Amino acid sequence: MSREGEGRRTRVAVIFGGRSVEHEISIITALQLIRALDTERYDPIPVYIAQSGRWYTGPALLEKAVYLALPGSLSGLTEVVLLPRPGVPGLTPAAPPVRRWWRTDRTGPAVIPVDVYFPALHGSLGEDGCIQGLLEMAGAAYTGCSVGPAALGMDKWSCKRLVREEGIDVLPDAVVHREDARRDLEDARRRVRKTPGLEEGPLFVKPCALGSSVGIRAVRTDAELEAALAQVFRFDLRALVEPLVEEITEINVSVRGRRPALASVVETPLADGRLLSYEEKYMSRGGKKAPTGSEGMAGLARRIDPEELDGKSKDQARSRAVRIYELLGAAGVARIDFILDRSTGRLYFNEINTLPGSLAFYLWTRSDPPLLYTELLHEIIQEALAHRAERLSLEQDFGFRALKG
Amino acid sequence: MALLSLLLITLGGLLFFHRRLLRYFRFFQQEEYDSVRFMAWLRANRALDRRGSAVALVAGGLSLWVRSDWASVLALAGALALVILAVREEDPRKTGKIRLNLTPRARRIQRVAFLLYGAALLPAALLCHWLLGVRAPVGLWAIHLVLVQAPPLTLMGAAALLAPGEKRRQEAFRQDARRILTELAPFVIGITGSYGKTSTKGILRELLQQGLGPTFCPPRSINTVMGITRQIRENLRREHRWAVIEMGAYRRGSIQRLCALTPPRAAIVTTVGIMHLERFGDPEDVYQAKSELPQALPPEGILVLNGDNPGTRRMAREHPKGTTLLFGLDPALGDLDCWISDARTTPDGTVFSLHWRGATYPVTTRLLGRAALANLLAAFTMACALGAEPRYLVAVMANLEPESNRLELVREGEHRVLRDGYNSNPAGFEAALEVLAELPANRRILVTPGMIELGDRQAEENRRMAGLAAQVCDRILLVGETNRAAWLEGLDQAGYPEDQRLVLDHRDEALHRVGGEARPEDLILIENDLPDVYEARPSF
Repeated sequence: MSREGEGRRTRVAVIFGGRSVEHEISIITALQLIRALDTERYDPIPVYIAQSGRWYTGPALLEKAVYLALPGSLSGLTEVVLLPRPGVPGLTPAAPPVRRWWRTDRTGPAVIPVDVYFPALHGSLGEDGCIQGLLEMAGAAYTGCSVGPAALGMDKWSCKRLVREEGIDVLPDAVVHREDARRDLEDARRRVRKTPGLEEGPLFVKPCALGSSVGIRAVRTDAELEAALAQVFRFDLRALVEPLVEEITEINVSVRGRRPALASVVETPLADGRLLSYEEKYMSRGGKKAPTGSEGMAGLARRIDPEELDGKSKDQARSRAVRIYELLGAAGVARIDFILDRSTGRLYFNEINTLPGSLAFYLWTRSDPPLLYTELLHEIIQEALAHRAERLSLEQDFGFRALKG
Repeated sequence: MALLSLLLITLGGLLFFHRRLLRYFRFFQQEEYDSVRFMAWLRANRALDRRGSAVALVAGGLSLWVRSDWASVLALAGALALVILAVREEDPRKTGKIRLNLTPRARRIQRVAFLLYGAALLPAALLCHWLLGVRAPVGLWAIHLVLVQAPPLTLMGAAALLAPGEKRRQEAFRQDARRILTELAPFVIGITGSYGKTSTKGILRELLQQGLGPTFCPPRSINTVMGITRQIRENLRREHRWAVIEMGAYRRGSIQRLCALTPPRAAIVTTVGIMHLERFGDPEDVYQAKSELPQALPPEGILVLNGDNPGTRRMAREHPKGTTLLFGLDPALGDLDCWISDARTTPDGTVFSLHWRGATYPVTTRLLGRAALANLLAAFTMACALGAEPRYLVAVMANLEPESNRLELVREGEHRVLRDGYNSNPAGFEAALEVLAELPANRRILVTPGMIELGDRQAEENRRMAGLAAQVCDRILLVGETNRAAWLEGLDQAGYPEDQRLVLDHRDEALHRVGGEARPEDLILIENDLPDVYEARPSF
């Protein structure tokens, strides 16, 4: 987008909330992000997608109070829509202006101008390519992955297969479809157990295409497996079952940038190897319950660049993370999670988060060289603007050859 | 000067009226704006004004004796007294278990009530001014003696005046809901019963939603025509294949009206018991009111009934349908289609074997108590009858969480608390005591105010429950006055040692005591903890 004059700040519409189970986490990520933006360069515009799916904007969104008073507090905000066509310089107010006989403007609702969109949505409809699709149709500049990489990143099953093709270790798995389970749960369970690598021992059950830790469980008995599948099917149509790695260390790495992609320092989310539940992941601050609100992933007890982790595993994680990021064609900041099986020393790719909580800024502030959140955001936004310029330079061939002839 | 006095008295009276109106309004709203029920409430609670009358009497009486120029001072004092009383009245919009919700309809009633009051007050004040001259304040105080009793009357009057308009409005909404329901045509399952309706509804909603498909279900305990009308208009969607509707049998005809709105093709009757007897009065009425639900089913309908309850067994005999199924925990009363065996209570929940259509399923659930198990069986039976796979339902049941305050087991530090605060009925109380007995514990402690809403059987049932509690509990804390006598009698009859009893006035005191005295691995049952049970009779 061309700037009308020197010195005007770039208007960044941060989109958050959304119709997903990670709605609340998204609010936290967004507020943190907005606070960290360089206000000399950027003018943040908060855009909140309520649980109804409607979009709202307004200065009140910068305060926590409005979220605690939902849905009544929405009436103080302006409802907007993003039209899925190019040529609209921003967000369009949803409601027509109130007509009064003394007002003479007939120019229509005033568009709220936006230079670049910053999706800060986690989970369904935000991290999975849906909003990216809308933004593409609007011809807008936006940060982070485009449709394909985002969608692929959300689908654990497909993503693992792509990664395995590259020669990177992944755990064996079985996928269960809700329809099949509803019709014959016992059969579904047996087929899981017939999968190579899952024949015996405890298993790990998770939704195929959701982030966070909702619906994730470790199971040891048949009854637990069946109950865990039923639990996943409350949230997703497919369940992924993997073997439970008992002596587990989770290793997460963040990656950003294009050609070259860079890896951050690694972290291990928990020292003693238990996997995190939703509460543990988001409602803790150093192990205690946060008194008011939470800091999201940034508030979790974590070991960043831990000494007790050997250098080989760290390097392996970082280099594989970069390969996976490039393989997917990702953009913006992603966080790639690995599982280290301490009993064998093997490092498995677990999942990629193309829009990680708090944008994993806490990993970049500890990297070498360190990168502050403000700078990180600046890089991401500039990348988005450059990327849009590239896309605009592609020709679009419209001609009515087939119809004419 | 007399005019000033009149003005002061009028203003004081208005403010007093405003705050009093809100207080009475809370109870009027609870009685669903039904004047007959409201008057019954007024009588039962002897809810006449005393304080305002006292002010009027004193101020008016003194005004008779003093010189007229002192009358204005008295008027000011009296008006101030009214203002102080008014300001000190509690605000039912903010306090209390069931708060006053000023809906658009409530506001309409409020406005008309004010108009009625004004229509009585202003002419009266003017007449006093013209006829009584300098003695006018005395007259106005006398009139206020009557007017302080006005709030409930103006409420009923306003409701009556607005009734035709409201009726039209409600009728339009009802037609709209009817139209929506007919067009979207989900399969409707009705649930009624003396207790267990809401819990069964909640479980059935989960079983159907997870086992079969999108299910519409009004939240909480919404079970009246008005409530369900609104839910349908606001929340029923095309995708909903199933609709689970709780139906409250407030009197004969209630369920018939509900079935006219949402004609059911399947029904569950959980129990025919003795809850809310003060509404019905006669157990036969209770039975007949609930029978309206099976009667509303088409001949090929599915009817699921509680095999442990004589009332519902009778319904199975008198109103059989194409598919009639009985569930229960105790095969003693006769054949059952769905029953359980080998039930064990553990701190993680209940483990049992479920028998259905020749198969046996091992079930683990976090729910506790036979009442909860009965609800589970009812929902399971219905879901299976509708085509869900039993095994999948068993997996769903393993994930169900108990509702808040319905036999919810929580750990508090080193001891555990069984929260069963939601309105207790005798069967629920017994079930809670059973769970208390079965769970491992160091000492078993009961905190309760007893049971309410049992009509003239209340004392008897509380005595009986005291006897049962005496066999299980190491310590019993009795809260409040309502059922104190009955419980003490029951405990005496059971020979329960005095030093194991504790009698307290207030709930907070009791909870504080019990928390402070608790030893590791004690198990405390908090039964029927509703604040309104503890709410003193309101005084005006």
